Amino acid sequence: MTLSRFATKNAFRNRRRSFITAISIAFSLLLLTLLMSVYRGFYIDQGPPESALRLVTRHKVSLVFWLPSYYREKVRTIPGVVHVSPWNWFGGIYKDTKPENAFAQFGVDPNEIFDVIKEDRVPPDELEAFKRDRAGAAVNRALAEKHGWKVGDKVIVKGTIYPINLEVTIRAIYDSDNAFDSMFFSTEYIDQALPRVKGRTGTLYTLVDSPEHVTSVSKAIDEMFANSPQPTKTETEKGFTLSFVAQLGNVKLFILSICGAVVFAILLVSANTMAMTIRERTREVAVLKTLGFTRRTILSLYIGEAMTISLFGGLLGATGATLLMIIASKMPNGTFFTGFKVNTPTYLVALAVAALVGFVSAFFPSYSASQRNIVDGLRHIG
Amino acid sequence: MPQAAEMKSAPAATKLVQANHVSKIFTRDTFEVRALDDVSIEIAEKEFLALMGPSGSGKTTLLNMIAAIDRPTAGELLVQGENVFRYSDKKIAEWRNRHIGYIFQTFNLIPVLTAFENVELPLLLTKLNKNERRDHVMTALTLVGLGDRVHHLPKQLSGGQEQRVAIARAIVTDPTLLLADEPTGDLDSHSAAEVLEIMKRLNEEFGKTVVMVTHDPNAAAYAHTTRHLEKGMLLPG
Ligand SMILES: Nc1ncnc2c1ncn2[C@@H]1O[C@H](COP(=O)(O)OP(=O)(O)OP(=O)(O)O)[C@@H](O)[C@H]1O
Ligand SMILES: [Mg+2]
Repeated sequence: MTLSRFATKNAFRNRRRSFITAISIAFSLLLLTLLMSVYRGFYIDQGPPESALRLVTRHKVSLVFWLPSYYREKVRTIPGVVHVSPWNWFGGIYKDTKPENAFAQFGVDPNEIFDVIKEDRVPPDELEAFKRDRAGAAVNRALAEKHGWKVGDKVIVKGTIYPINLEVTIRAIYDSDNAFDSMFFSTEYIDQALPRVKGRTGTLYTLVDSPEHVTSVSKAIDEMFANSPQPTKTETEKGFTLSFVAQLGNVKLFILSICGAVVFAILLVSANTMAMTIRERTREVAVLKTLGFTRRTILSLYIGEAMTISLFGGLLGATGATLLMIIASKMPNGTFFTGFKVNTPTYLVALAVAALVGFVSAFFPSYSASQRNIVDGLRHIG
Repeated sequence: MPQAAEMKSAPAATKLVQANHVSKIFTRDTFEVRALDDVSIEIAEKEFLALMGPSGSGKTTLLNMIAAIDRPTAGELLVQGENVFRYSDKKIAEWRNRHIGYIFQTFNLIPVLTAFENVELPLLLTKLNKNERRDHVMTALTLVGLGDRVHHLPKQLSGGQEQRVAIARAIVTDPTLLLADEPTGDLDSHSAAEVLEIMKRLNEEFGKTVVMVTHDPNAAAYAHTTRHLEKGMLLPG
């Protein structure tokens, strides 16, 4: 036997109590791991390197206002800009409003869009066909497979913002690493069907040549239109997604406060267990000291015990969350967690939180037990 | 050990324990309990001493002082010529691990540990490796006649066997001094006799100095000398 083996034996001395504690830690850490992964997906992950090179320009006041289409060519003149495409939210409905049938549709310039989102891969012949057909569409492979679409199939999407329906032919199926389902079609389709919107664009999607130019280009765009009737706001793709998320309220604070509450709750559960456990061993602590155990050894013995329990719970919880996210991402209809996953750093952070909870919860009761006078401990009944 | 030189103030070779005018006062709320009152005693090496006296007379308190579990309020206590109380708490713990074997009335084994593991416990604080520890543990358990019960948990043993495991735990570090506080108090007479025989053998064959607190005159008969405490005072022996 070793001292750590002794700590482990102690941890499962009262099996039921240790198990319940470990399970409550596991559930809390499962939640914490999910939240941390969502938080990471929103606020920390930068996406593919190309994403950091992309800027989204919209009307300064709100997404609902239009920008003039000629802004595109003016933006193109700014040094550092490589490609620009319009990017117009169509907001249509395919079949019905069921969530499994939802996907995004964007009016773009077929000639340039796949230069802007250059990490997505399109077979060259399909791309050519997409460019040639004004009523053509490009969809990502997952979306095509979900609905059984093949190149050449006709798809009808009912307009909600525009009083028209999109009746497009699938011309290209592209492969993408992000889990976002979208359909691209030509802005000319709407321009022709609805001449009054001609000359307007929702947002502009710009690819910058190098990371050093991202900030200067973004500033240059906004300065260019600062004094015009339609001033702009330009953000990185990531920043744009976040301002979209921000419409839901202060998501960041919301996630962080739940995380805080979860950690605090398990801290209390674990502290309560450890305080109870150590109080029951008052006499035993005195016996160990009589055998020559120092305060420090006793302290580390009991802290090790608590950390064994909390790490056991943490391992269950973090692994559970990882599996849950994998399952969620495999669900055919997509879930809230689609696109998020538990990565190794998040997993390790969850385990570190578990270890810390064990440490903190055991520290105070163990410390006072280790400081207790031996004579009083030996005289303790119970 | 830089303190070692200054500690050896009175190196009387045959005097293992020397208590000079030791008093202990416990303060409880408003009144004081004088648990030991000016006790002076010398315990020679290889002595087997029985301490008797009515309940509350200070027997456990004296034993605890010798084990450096409790500090005297006044007076001086030397073990092997050293005033152990001058050490830091950490050094006292190490000293106790090496030099003192303590046997309790209620055995105080750790319930989740087997007989083997209970006996091994004090050795975990030493530098011995796994094989050396196993040899020591087996020697101690064989000596108390439990070589065939090593993997039993305390609840699977009789009271007498539990106390013998506790004795093995007390002697496994090969301490100089064995202190036993009513070791047979919770045992039937047959088990008590077994335990007392082991104590006697440890004293005679292995040269351990034994101080045993007891209420039982039959137990005291195993000792060389018997001293009596009354109201914290040591009666002339
Ligand atoms: N930690 C303590 N706090 C307060 N009083 C104590 C403490 N330890 C001992 N006493 C008191 O000191 C006196 C001597 O106690 P001690 O335990 O030494 O007696 P004892 O001779 O061992 O008695 P017993 O035969 O019942 O074990 C008693 O009056 C006891 O109540
Ligand atoms: Mg007593």
